[in-house]
Amino acid sequence: MKKLVEIKDVCKIYNPGENEVRALNHVNLTIGEGEFVAIIGQSGSGKSTLMNMLGCLDTPTSGKYYLHGQDVSHMTDDEQSDVRNREIGFIFQGFNLIPSLTALENVELPLIYRGVGKKERDRLANAALNSVGLEKRKTHKPNEMSGGQQQRVAIARAIAQAPPILLADEPTGNLDTASTKEIISIIKRLYKEGRTVIIITHDPGIAEQAKRIITISDGQIKSDVINKNYKDD
Amino acid sequence: MGTFGEYIKSALSSIRNNKGRSFLTMLGIIIGIAAVLTVLIIGDGMKATVNSEMDSIGATTITVSLDNTKTDKLFTKDDLDRIEAGLDNIYGVSPSISIWGETMVRGESFDMNLSGGSQAMEYGAGVKMVHGRYFNAADVEDGKKVCVLSQSAAKKLFGYEEAIGETVTITAYDLTGEFLVIGIREDTSMDIAYASFGDEPVYMGDVPYTAAAGVYSLNLDTLESFTIYLDSEYKNAVLSQARSVVENVMGLRGEGAVKVSSGYGFDQTTDTILTIITSVVAIIAAISLLVGGIGVMNIMTVSVTERTREIGIRKSLGARTSSILTQFLAEASILTFTGGIIGIILGLSLAYLICTVIGFAFSVNPLLVLLVVAISTAIGLFFGIYPAKRAAALDPIEALRTE
Repeated sequence: MKKLVEIKDVCKIYNPGENEVRALNHVNLTIGEGEFVAIIGQSGSGKSTLMNMLGCLDTPTSGKYYLHGQDVSHMTDDEQSDVRNREIGFIFQGFNLIPSLTALENVELPLIYRGVGKKERDRLANAALNSVGLEKRKTHKPNEMSGGQQQRVAIARAIAQAPPILLADEPTGNLDTASTKEIISIIKRLYKEGRTVIIITHDPGIAEQAKRIITISDGQIKSDVINKNYKDD
Repeated sequence: MGTFGEYIKSALSSIRNNKGRSFLTMLGIIIGIAAVLTVLIIGDGMKATVNSEMDSIGATTITVSLDNTKTDKLFTKDDLDRIEAGLDNIYGVSPSISIWGETMVRGESFDMNLSGGSQAMEYGAGVKMVHGRYFNAADVEDGKKVCVLSQSAAKKLFGYEEAIGETVTITAYDLTGEFLVIGIREDTSMDIAYASFGDEPVYMGDVPYTAAAGVYSLNLDTLESFTIYLDSEYKNAVLSQARSVVENVMGLRGEGAVKVSSGYGFDQTTDTILTIITSVVAIIAAISLLVGGIGVMNIMTVSVTERTREIGIRKSLGARTSSILTQFLAEASILTFTGGIIGIILGLSLAYLICTVIGFAFSVNPLLVLLVVAISTAIGLFFGIYPAKRAAALDPIEALRTE
């Protein structure tokens, strides 16, 4: 299995000095291509910081982060933007769709920033929306859709340009049980199609769905186990 | 960059989603642009109208004098001859000698003002012969003691208008000379003005300056100024030629000692005054444009604050700093550009209406319109930069956390 994510001795320290907060404390973590990983931790455990780090939204205070073999620990804002655009598909708890844009336009957004032409963009965005079962909602704006549908648009946006990593931050946190099931099954399907999926959650029920479960607490990885109860559905 | 079109599109959709607010923002620009444009066009119309009225007079004069703070030189008769030879499209050059004297007629004394000059004075504004002839170049050359009287002077002095062949005796500076009347001209506005000079009317006559110099022993080589007579059609050409010709003849190149003014400096002064008035009003109007620009900045800042989360989302999806900057700048520029276009339409209509009502010439310099469009767009860019930079500099993590 090829290494996709390699985090080496990473620390993230806020307020360096007397009242410093070590959000990540010498973390080492390797995730290979095609893995399905859940990172579980309570709030304040450092899981959000880890997620921001993995998503290239943040840089470590010390240590190294290699993504696809490329050192991404010290980059300019624009370089980080490019890496995010190319490598990572985000799925957020709050969906984070742009309210003034239709479903299709939302899905097209990362493709615009990548510089994909109009025709190709249309094709990719439509394919992505079809794959999450939203053929009939393309021209709807977020406020015209249910939470589950909005999250499916967000998933379509994350997979439209086929990034190597899907990074899902509490993807079902704002959803009811039925929608949660639906979203989890889509995520599982994407994993089975060969994508690398990382879910960050505080909910053991969600973490249980993944193949590998990493527990984080006080900025350190406490356990990293293969989920023996993983069900392929 | 093909994605630029996308930024324009997203800017447009954001403007459309906030129609009311966008329009109010534009209103400031619309009013500012319309006000500036209206003022400038009306100012131009006012100047054009005044100038065309002045030019319609036909004959005009240009006065040339030397600045005595910069040179000790004075014009000599020879200088004038050489200057006259060097100028194109003129009737002639003449010194302007004014002699105040007295004449006795039938035991009564009258004040007389003699204008000593060359035959070119015949081309002075409003000069029209009614009897006899004006003196000619030969009369001037020979210093002939002849004289042209105004109608009112002839009537007063001789009791009848057609006083050709009469002699008028004028005493000035304790010297007395006799001049043969060879022509009578219509009263000019100057005659009328002098004739109503308080209790003691002054009567006017024109004499060759050579004759005046001979009789009253004046030095013709210490002239402080002279007058060029020409048709107003050539005014600008002669104005631009006169300075360099005079500087060459007088050996005063580059010293800035030669003063040239047209029409006794009158229409130049009015032009300057009109320009100043227009500029002052335009500046006041421009202040409203500035306020409009600040309005754009204000709304854009609100827009950035409101859309912090959107900016965070865009950044997380791979938007670069420049993409966000471009998007917000595009939004501000589109607002002010559109406002500018509406303002131009409004300004042109308003200016047309006012010019028509007042009776000014209405003409629009297309360059002015282009300039106004450029200015309104530039206002968007200038006042959009601060909020756009703020948006682009947002940290995506912070931005995503805001609700």
